[in-house]
Amino acid sequence: MARGPERVPSDERVRRSVRRTLANTFVLLASLAVIVAWAYFGFYELQPGQAAVVLRLGRYSETVSEPGLRWHWPPPIETHEIVNVASIEREEFGMPAPGEAEPKGKALLEAQMQTGDNNIVNLSFVVRYMVKDAFQSRYRVAEPRQTLRDAAQAAVREVVGHTPIDAVLSLKGEQIKAESGQILQRTLDAYESGLLVNGIEIQDAKAPSSVIAAFNEVLAAAQDRSRLVNEAQGYANEVLPKAHAQEAEQREQARGYRESKVAEATGAAERFRALDSEYRKAPDVTRRRLYLETMETVLPQVETVVVDPSTAHVLPYLPIGAAKPAPQASPEAKK
Amino acid sequence: MRRLVFIGMVTLALFVGLVWLGNFDQGPFLITREDQQKIVLLFGKPLLVRTEPGLALRLPFVTDVLTYDKRRLYLSTQPITAQTRDQELLVIDNYVIWRIEDPVQYRSSFPLGRSVAEAQINQVVNNDLRGVIGQRTLSEVVTTSRVDVMQAITHKSDENLRGSGIRIEDVRINRTELPAPTEENVYARMRTERERLARKERAQGEQEGRTIRAQADREAQVIVAEAKRDAEIERGQGDADATRIFAEAYSADPEFYSFVRGLEAYRKALSPKTTLVLSPSSEFFRLLDSARETKGP
Repeated sequence: MARGPERVPSDERVRRSVRRTLANTFVLLASLAVIVAWAYFGFYELQPGQAAVVLRLGRYSETVSEPGLRWHWPPPIETHEIVNVASIEREEFGMPAPGEAEPKGKALLEAQMQTGDNNIVNLSFVVRYMVKDAFQSRYRVAEPRQTLRDAAQAAVREVVGHTPIDAVLSLKGEQIKAESGQILQRTLDAYESGLLVNGIEIQDAKAPSSVIAAFNEVLAAAQDRSRLVNEAQGYANEVLPKAHAQEAEQREQARGYRESKVAEATGAAERFRALDSEYRKAPDVTRRRLYLETMETVLPQVETVVVDPSTAHVLPYLPIGAAKPAPQASPEAKK
Repeated sequence: MRRLVFIGMVTLALFVGLVWLGNFDQGPFLITREDQQKIVLLFGKPLLVRTEPGLALRLPFVTDVLTYDKRRLYLSTQPITAQTRDQELLVIDNYVIWRIEDPVQYRSSFPLGRSVAEAQINQVVNNDLRGVIGQRTLSEVVTTSRVDVMQAITHKSDENLRGSGIRIEDVRINRTELPAPTEENVYARMRTERERLARKERAQGEQEGRTIRAQADREAQVIVAEAKRDAEIERGQGDADATRIFAEAYSADPEFYSFVRGLEAYRKALSPKTTLVLSPSSEFFRLLDSARETKGP
């Protein structure tokens, strides 16, 4: 009984063992296939500029930022969320609608701010920001964008609120930019928003439209002021060179006078010395010659009357000057 | 062997499936994500509170799961009008950053959900805002102690809502606006201030201009006067030089000098208008006389 079934079942046994092996292999392969298929769901692709936040059973595991084909434990063990971390976002505040010069409605409300000296100014600005912590920006704040918008407005207004209007208008907000940027970053860090403020830019800062005329008048006055100063400087630039010219004239004339005086004196002195040295050689003759020469030239021009001292008493009767025309003759003399 | 693999596979699949169900608050597993906190309720009674993320076990079928946000929540409130201590009205727009700190307390305080909670926050914050603003002047609120005001409101609102499982993290005034009549006053003041500035600017321009002109005139006058002074000194020195040169030369023979100079003076001083009365005995006629004397007896 044992033999009969023993021979036939030997075939059967082989067949059975083959079948078992096949089934085993099949089950193994199938299990493998299922596992591979499941594992396949763990693959994901990361583009440059993206970061994947990986959660394991809901708890934060890691942030992956190298781009390429990545793998984590397939869901539901691990899940990932992709966040854009490289792109710089822009938020505008108080900017006029495209094609309009002035902000209106909501934008005007955003732009209007009170300054430190209780004036009102219209300030439009842009905040540039990016995600610095993908996990925080996704899992720590509910509305990062809206939070940033309001926090930015609060920060800029806080700074403008203690800055006088002239500083806001004239500096075009260098200081406002820096200070409000710091405040905004501090606020966002306190919220664990995972956002990084790249910068706040003041687009436009001007007085409200109903007082802009008065502000322009101040600008015009400032121009008048510089014009007056310029004109005065022009006058000074004209007057001073003229004075210097007069100065030069005076000095040159005086020098000329001095030099000519010295030259004349030297000339006369030299002449006298020459004459004197000759005179010393023959004093009497020279003296007489000089006297007579002088008389020679003088007397012909002069009306000469020779009177002997002994007849000096006739002198009063001489018609002195009668030969000359009497320009101031008295009327009696004409008669 | 096959059975082992099979059982293993089934167990794995079951585990994965149950965990997967846990994401939908079903099955024996409770998965709390980083941005969630969960309460497990048994017949309406809290059995388990999960505020930390991760995996937990719960009784399936008989317990319910409630999920609450764990993130910082943003609430923008409608602008309200508040009166400051100096009786000025101020329109204030603010926002609130809050979070659910105690989900069980929160649930019992606001069974109807978040909108009720937000309305409650809104009301509390607005009340506290009015209270704090009422103790400050307008300029304090807007400029000097803006940060203090915001911190005071945050602190007060947080205390007032502490019992309801809510934490107020930050109340921030993002916009203050003056009511229309006050705004007109501000504009009027700004205008007069600008006019004053413009006048001052022009007057300063005139002042500067005239100062520059006067300075230029003064400098010019001084330059010319000094030049004249120097010129006179120079001329005087010229005269002195000439006098010295003359004196040096003439003092060698003063007698001859006075003779020559006298002759020269006659030449210049005697003109055709002059009538000269001479004595025959003068030097000039001496020769005449001497001739007569020699020819006569």
